[in-house]
Amino acid sequence: MVSLQINGEVRTVDAPPDMPLLWVLRDILGLTGTKFGCGIAQCGACTVHVNGAPVRSCLLPIGSVGDRAVTTIEGIGASAVGARVQKAWLDLEVVQCGYCQSGQIMSATALLNSTAHPEDSDIDAAMAGNICRCGTYVRIRAAIKHAAQT
Amino acid sequence: MNDSSPTGRAGRYTLIGIVAILAVVLIGLLWMGVLAPHPMDFAGGTRVALTEYHAQDPTGVPAELKSASLIEQGEYLARAADCAACHTADGGVPFAGGRAFVLPFGTLYSTNITPDKETGIGNYSDANFLEAVHKGIGRDHTRLYPAMPFASYTYMTTADAAAIKAYLFSLAPVHAPAPQNTLSFPFNQRSLMGVWALLFNPDKRFEPRTERDPQWNRGAYLVEAMAHCGECHTPRNLMQALNNREKFAGAVQAGWRAYNITSDPKSGIGAWSEAALAQYLATGHADGRGAATGPMGEAVDNSLQYMTQTDIAAMVTYVRSVSGIASSDLPEPKASPAPASHAEGVAANSDPRGKAVYAGACASCHDWTGVSPVIPSATLTGVRSVNDPTATNVVQVILSGSHRQAADTRATMPAFGSAYSDEEIASLANYVTARFGAQPSAVSAQNIAALRAQN
Repeated sequence: MVSLQINGEVRTVDAPPDMPLLWVLRDILGLTGTKFGCGIAQCGACTVHVNGAPVRSCLLPIGSVGDRAVTTIEGIGASAVGARVQKAWLDLEVVQCGYCQSGQIMSATALLNSTAHPEDSDIDAAMAGNICRCGTYVRIRAAIKHAAQT
Repeated sequence: MNDSSPTGRAGRYTLIGIVAILAVVLIGLLWMGVLAPHPMDFAGGTRVALTEYHAQDPTGVPAELKSASLIEQGEYLARAADCAACHTADGGVPFAGGRAFVLPFGTLYSTNITPDKETGIGNYSDANFLEAVHKGIGRDHTRLYPAMPFASYTYMTTADAAAIKAYLFSLAPVHAPAPQNTLSFPFNQRSLMGVWALLFNPDKRFEPRTERDPQWNRGAYLVEAMAHCGECHTPRNLMQALNNREKFAGAVQAGWRAYNITSDPKSGIGAWSEAALAQYLATGHADGRGAATGPMGEAVDNSLQYMTQTDIAAMVTYVRSVSGIASSDLPEPKASPAPASHAEGVAANSDPRGKAVYAGACASCHDWTGVSPVIPSATLTGVRSVNDPTATNVVQVILSGSHRQAADTRATMPAFGSAYSDEEIASLANYVTARFGAQPSAVSAQNIAALRAQN
């Protein structure tokens, strides 16, 4: 049994410690907002926060999470910055198919938490690992700047 | 014809020239062969035959396996000797051979050592097997190439070699003819390897040192006769034999750099703690020192992870006793993480392509600091390969990734060789060494192409 702090709640799961967090979130806890994309930390669709930092949950073994706080897309709206990012996404109609957008919002929120007014190069560095096959990058960049101003 | 005639003088000078050249060659061969130190000579002390050594036997299996069957003992010893590393093709049946060794003068393939009578070693008697392991002579009297480390295995006891044979003969026979070697002349002349063996194979069994404790002697046996660490980590001479004057000082093997594992504190492992060395050997990762990838990762997966704790401790004791030799091109690894901000740490005017590739393909696992938020073995801080200004192993791991099989690790890195061009990989390697290492590399697309050719 492994105990995890997820979105402010303690969740205990019967899973081996080397199981990736993403599997636990989706298959055991039913938190399916976090998506499986590539499974090798190359696309960013599975991004969650661990103590506020963006982490690819597809490779993160639950045994190494310890008592650090995990936040998923289901819980990100509870923070002021997360809520602002979600609103900016809606205001600018960022989403096309939507599959990658949970990860995009998680990475964007982490960026604004560490850099309140990011320049283009900051956005490049923070968001380059989150890919979008619909090509919404232009709207993502605009929405991050929009969220930073609101 | 008069001796003082010009042709007579020329003939004499030619003769003197030939004699002089032969003398130089002879002195060279003596220097590299008979006069060269053997792998354990650095230790000095009194050598005694194993039968004359009355402390705990340094050979054989560890205490836990003393009462196991011969086949189980042989399995442990075959793992200790890492036979599978070479005698298994990529994705092939273990021990069925066929792994290619791409050499400057052609390609050599490992042989099938399953007990298949036609294509394996099914017809080998114990004596045949010993001839191969100790002397590099096949059952049909052909000479083996020293890619088979018989100059190391020669230190193995007859009993341990017999146990390994018993284990190999317990496996299912696999019909797998070895692919034809494609070596060029004169390297395709196997009989020349007899001369090589005469010069460079000591053909001696392990002799303990009475001044050293049993743990050191056990470590010496495991490291030299079994794990054959020196076959990669000791530089070779002109004749491709190990040059033990520079024992464990590091060498490039199959396109990867086997680093300096002498006790030099800056370029070797002198600053590693015993616990870190033991953790690295047993799991392929040590905190603050990085993860084994490439051929060393395979050595952990196939061999070292199965060794008992006491055997690992013995190997650590022995390796640490090797005196330090500095590698002048290897700086002391930078022990502190890179800045958290992408904007700091590497000069802003450096090649932007390396940073762009890093941001998209690498930062999710390795972070901008080099401290992985995902798995400890992906942390780059303090790792030798990023502190190597040739960036050899950084390039190799980018090209082919890391596919570790050890039971308790999930240290997988995708291969990027087919995703990026030589130019992109060169920029990336230079960015990585500049950001996380003590001294940046300056590799070019040509360097990457050359390393690709070795894969």
